[in-house]
Amino acid sequence: MSAMWHADAEMLTSYADGEIADVHASSLEAHLLACERCRDRLAAVPASASASAPASQGSMDRIWAEVVDTIDAPNPGFVERTLIALRIPQHVARLLAATPSLRGSWLIAEAVALGFAVLAANTATGRSADLALFLFLVVAALLPVAGVAVAFGPGIDPAYEVGAAAPMRGDRLVLMRATAVLATSIVISAVAALAMPRLDAIAIAWLLPSLGLTLATLTLGTWLRPLVAAAAVSLSWIMLAAAAAVSTQDRLAVFRPAGQLACLVAIAASAVVLAHRHIAYQEGIAT
Amino acid sequence: MSAPTIEIDDVHKRFGHTTALRGVTFDAATGITGLLGPNGAGKTTLLRMMATVLAPDDGRLRLLGWDPRVADERLAIRRRLGYMPQEPGFHRSFTAFEFIDYVAILKEMTDRRARHDEVRRVLGVVDLEGVSDRKIKALSGGMRRRVALAQSMLGDPDLLVLDEPTAGLDPEQRLRFREIVSERTSDRTVVLSTHQTEDVAALCQRIVVMLDGQVLFEGTPQELTDVAEGRVWLAEQRAAGARLSWRTANGAHRNIGEAPPGADLVAPTLEDGYLLLVGDRALSEAAA
Repeated sequence: MSAMWHADAEMLTSYADGEIADVHASSLEAHLLACERCRDRLAAVPASASASAPASQGSMDRIWAEVVDTIDAPNPGFVERTLIALRIPQHVARLLAATPSLRGSWLIAEAVALGFAVLAANTATGRSADLALFLFLVVAALLPVAGVAVAFGPGIDPAYEVGAAAPMRGDRLVLMRATAVLATSIVISAVAALAMPRLDAIAIAWLLPSLGLTLATLTLGTWLRPLVAAAAVSLSWIMLAAAAAVSTQDRLAVFRPAGQLACLVAIAASAVVLAHRHIAYQEGIAT
Repeated sequence: MSAPTIEIDDVHKRFGHTTALRGVTFDAATGITGLLGPNGAGKTTLLRMMATVLAPDDGRLRLLGWDPRVADERLAIRRRLGYMPQEPGFHRSFTAFEFIDYVAILKEMTDRRARHDEVRRVLGVVDLEGVSDRKIKALSGGMRRRVALAQSMLGDPDLLVLDEPTAGLDPEQRLRFREIVSERTSDRTVVLSTHQTEDVAALCQRIVVMLDGQVLFEGTPQELTDVAEGRVWLAEQRAAGARLSWRTANGAHRNIGEAPPGADLVAPTLEDGYLLLVGDRALSEAAA
């Protein structure tokens, strides 16, 4: 494989002396793996006055260990590779790759569900057009809630028991996974929204509800299991949306400005409660 | 016994209408302590408490000198703990290497190179280096148990809690397991549960026999064996007074119970002592 660039002498000297910043060292090491020319030049770099010979030898050992580690460690899967390409740190990417709702099969299921809603919206006419739009908005708003429901927790995460006995804070893992699930769902829904017949504000009226419902699920999840919390939040919101539609004679009432405002209030309230309650995820002691 | 590293005092636990533990009390020190008992005796519930994933309803635990109910102290315990659950779950799409690496990250090992070295070390300990890049779903049941054991060894923990670690292992693997677990017992506390009395006899300095959520016996393997002293004899037939009896390979019946006068007494084993203690419950489980 040919390298696109070559390390300059100053960089190689700094590296050999162990004085290079970690971020540049990582970048250089990645390059050295692919570039024989730079490896040879690095090997020829003399130890500087400030650096002892053993330090240079240490640097070479470090490179060799990096080479061995890179070759020996299995190639990460698609989700993990994608996350790393998005500049997510490798250890975080591995934690996220274990999220059931970030697997390819789940993401495809999300896309298919939205695809049907988009198809219905594009083929419906008259009064049923509003119904199809309502369906799309509801599905898009609830996707991250469903994803969060199966992102963590006992009975969901197969390695939950082992993780619960580990020192990593449970709330950190939960928030990390919920954020990744929410971001992924938003991207999929946004792409689907582009295929809707009306490309106006209403096509993205699911965004604030999805944020609010996800936060509400995480908040309720500090008392209940994630799946139960998600079911409770989803059912409550569907009933609220139906009640608003009936009382105002407008199927999309919950997605109108007043509904969006209510979502903002719900987001703020959930965020405050979650900030106080997140310790429940940290506890990790099931009862 | 040296200073206790595990102190369990009058611990109770209920799950709905089922009482799992009713006033369990015992101490354990560095070395290997084995929990023996039939299914439903409360071993797993107790081990989950020692692994800090389950809180007691009542009673007190101290692990390595810390109280798991206090957040900071629980964290300190978890930083020195290795835990292999009875039914370890796996992210099956991960390779063996990736799964152990995943657990290592949960154990706060964020430096990639050092973490990978540690993952390779524990895979080597359980002789799984050759399949490290194989998906978990493609591994045999015995190999998966070894992956679960390997993750528990990450970071060379001071407290190792192993729930039925030898289930599903073949004899060679069980011997290797004994070798692994018996290393570093001078300053490490290992608590394991098992149905294999041979494992307990071969490994454990202390034994706790549990039945119906209570501690029935606590002592050394020799003390458990002594429970059956003078109560094991061989006869042509099943003896009328025997509580337990079975036909051995050479045709004689090995009887356990109150020996009749003049019986051909034989040296008891640890298993005889255990069977006498848990009696009919263990026998019905063995027949099931």
